[in-house]
Amino acid sequence: MKKITRRVFIASSVLAGTALVLLPQEAKSNIKIDLFKTLTAVQEVLFPKGLVAPSAIEFGATAYLANVATHSSFLDSDLVYLQSGAEKLMTEYPDFLSQSPKEQDETLRAFIKNHEMGENWISFILYFTLEALLANPIYGGNKNESGWKWLNHNAGVPQPKVPYAQNLQGEVI
Amino acid sequence: MMYDVCIVGTGAGASGVAHKLVEAGMNVVMLERGGFYKEEDFSKDELAYCKREIVTPSFKDSYHTIETQESGKWVKSSTRDTERTYFNGNIVGGSSNFMSGYFHRMKPKDFKLASTYGAIDGANVVDWVSDYKEFEPYFEEVERLVGVSGEVTHFEHHEPRSTKNFPYPALDEHPISAKIDDACKKLGFTPYKTPRAILSKAKGKRDNCYYSNYCGSYGCSSGAKGSARASLLQPMLGKKNFSIITHAFVKKLVEKEGKVVEALYVDTKTKEDKRIKAKLFIVAGQAVESSRLLLNSKSKSFPNGLSNNAGQVGKNLLFSAGGVGSGQFDEDSMALNKLMVEGLFVNRSLCDWYFYEEDGKEVKGGIVDFLFQHANPMTQATKQRFDNGKLLWGKELQDKIYHKLNKTKQLNFEVFNDWLPTDNCFVSVDDKYKDAYGVPVANIRIGAHKRDLEVGEYLAKKAEDVLKKMGATEVKSSISPAPPPNLQAGGCRFGDDPKTSVLNKHCQAHEVSNLFVTDGSFMPTGGSVTYTWTIYANSFRVGDYIVKNKNIWI
Repeated sequence: MKKITRRVFIASSVLAGTALVLLPQEAKSNIKIDLFKTLTAVQEVLFPKGLVAPSAIEFGATAYLANVATHSSFLDSDLVYLQSGAEKLMTEYPDFLSQSPKEQDETLRAFIKNHEMGENWISFILYFTLEALLANPIYGGNKNESGWKWLNHNAGVPQPKVPYAQNLQGEVI
Repeated sequence: MMYDVCIVGTGAGASGVAHKLVEAGMNVVMLERGGFYKEEDFSKDELAYCKREIVTPSFKDSYHTIETQESGKWVKSSTRDTERTYFNGNIVGGSSNFMSGYFHRMKPKDFKLASTYGAIDGANVVDWVSDYKEFEPYFEEVERLVGVSGEVTHFEHHEPRSTKNFPYPALDEHPISAKIDDACKKLGFTPYKTPRAILSKAKGKRDNCYYSNYCGSYGCSSGAKGSARASLLQPMLGKKNFSIITHAFVKKLVEKEGKVVEALYVDTKTKEDKRIKAKLFIVAGQAVESSRLLLNSKSKSFPNGLSNNAGQVGKNLLFSAGGVGSGQFDEDSMALNKLMVEGLFVNRSLCDWYFYEEDGKEVKGGIVDFLFQHANPMTQATKQRFDNGKLLWGKELQDKIYHKLNKTKQLNFEVFNDWLPTDNCFVSVDDKYKDAYGVPVANIRIGAHKRDLEVGEYLAKKAEDVLKKMGATEVKSSISPAPPPNLQAGGCRFGDDPKTSVLNKHCQAHEVSNLFVTDGSFMPTGGSVTYTWTIYANSFRVGDYIVKNKNIWI
């Protein structure tokens, strides 16, 4: 049937997608820990704890992202992109991590207003946050199936035993 | 070792012919670029199968260049940048593993479009050098061997059948199907019960469908789906005269004195170059890659590619024209406990306008299939991020996702009409763009004929009428010249004239007597249907021809 790939989805906002391939291939950062700390804070604003909905921290949004980012299907340029947005946010709003949830929300809205890449970057993180909410727990998100439980979702059977559809069969017959 | 037959590819076009040749005792080897997944390897892993395209070559390994027209100029882009792959299901059984299996036969007039409707400006429409009568027994054979379930619904343009019913009864239907029937009746349309290449009853070692709710884009864990692997290849495993070599990417067919003598391939796991010798070679790697292989198989006698001295290889490539549409349903239009039922099939199509009248003249139309939006929760949730272009997050987004996944269902439709063959849609190769193995990648020029859009719009309007009559909200459609990359045909059309076609009526290369092409490449036009049934039928047909005449080659 008529398929749409991941990148087309990511490009579904007005700006999304375009910046990704244009970014210079900077050396992989040595402040990775800061990146994931920043991402955790951003993801918690994007997906806070609801009356029933689990929060990004609860369902393991950052753990998921850190996990899938190591797979070959995750582009190096995507990681560079995440990093460059986080650096911009932290440079502009150095006390972001210590702000209250309400202030952080306002900061992200200001970041979108003041920076061309803002909306695209947040949309990109949100994309992976929602993947983390509903992917099979084998990938590190959807902890205790909390995303599925929230949405009364019946997962398809059989569920994967190994990630990325690895094939454990003998190959030559 | 010298094989009787070497088949490049393991999808529908490769497996039908393999089945016939192995049954006839010929020694057959198949070369598959990817691995071998069986029922137990498949799962409903949305991330792997639907979002990371795990069963196609990585973009580091291979890619395509795509030419599209922008402001009157042809502009080339790489799929490495767009991440929109034109590979489909590179594992044993090919893309048939991942199809939804909406099976419609071509109609008798589809074989004779040029003589029935005359020429269309800017399109290279020709009659087939075969007809429905020759294909009918093979369509029927597919129903039995691959397995097609359904209930014959009569409509004005229904094709003749040699058997009364499908060999397998119709699959269970979702309550919304009755609502479609009702709306169609009110509108004077015929609700057509869509045949499916999915078993409603067990067949041999294949179990019946278990209504998993995750079908299209996923491999089938019960064997019910009529993939080439489950239906034709796995039953042959263990036969002494049959083997499949996986992780074998064929780089070139080597020609000597007018015949193919060996296939050069690389073992993609060890990166080692290897070769296979055979008396007869059959290419079926899906239309784009089959043309690519011939174009890259250059020799002294064939400086422009194998069997390409007439310059026809890669020309008149086809996709499927049309587009998609949708409508939303909630408790206002249907009781939630019925609407939210999971796993059952919609299985309704509109075929009344396969041919229709325009300005007092009959013209070629197409079909519409209805289906629910796939159950994939990640795909549905990520789509909720925007509301009229505005990015949402927090409670606003959570409420929207909850409502979407718990309180609504989206009924989609897909429009299929002929992708007219033109000079602006073809496969070529260019030494500047090579894959990880140093082989030039396929360049695909994609130009759609404006008539494709006109017909698509006409059909979409009919489908929208049905959705509106059913009480759907947000009814919309999008008919587009962008092709679905998984529905490919053409590029090596068959015909009687070696100057204007690559293959003869038996899908044997005009210029190379021990070379056949049996995927969708042979089709000069594709009908307004998905191609798999036609490809299977033709593959059986060519298989019978080879078996009957095997002394010529073996």
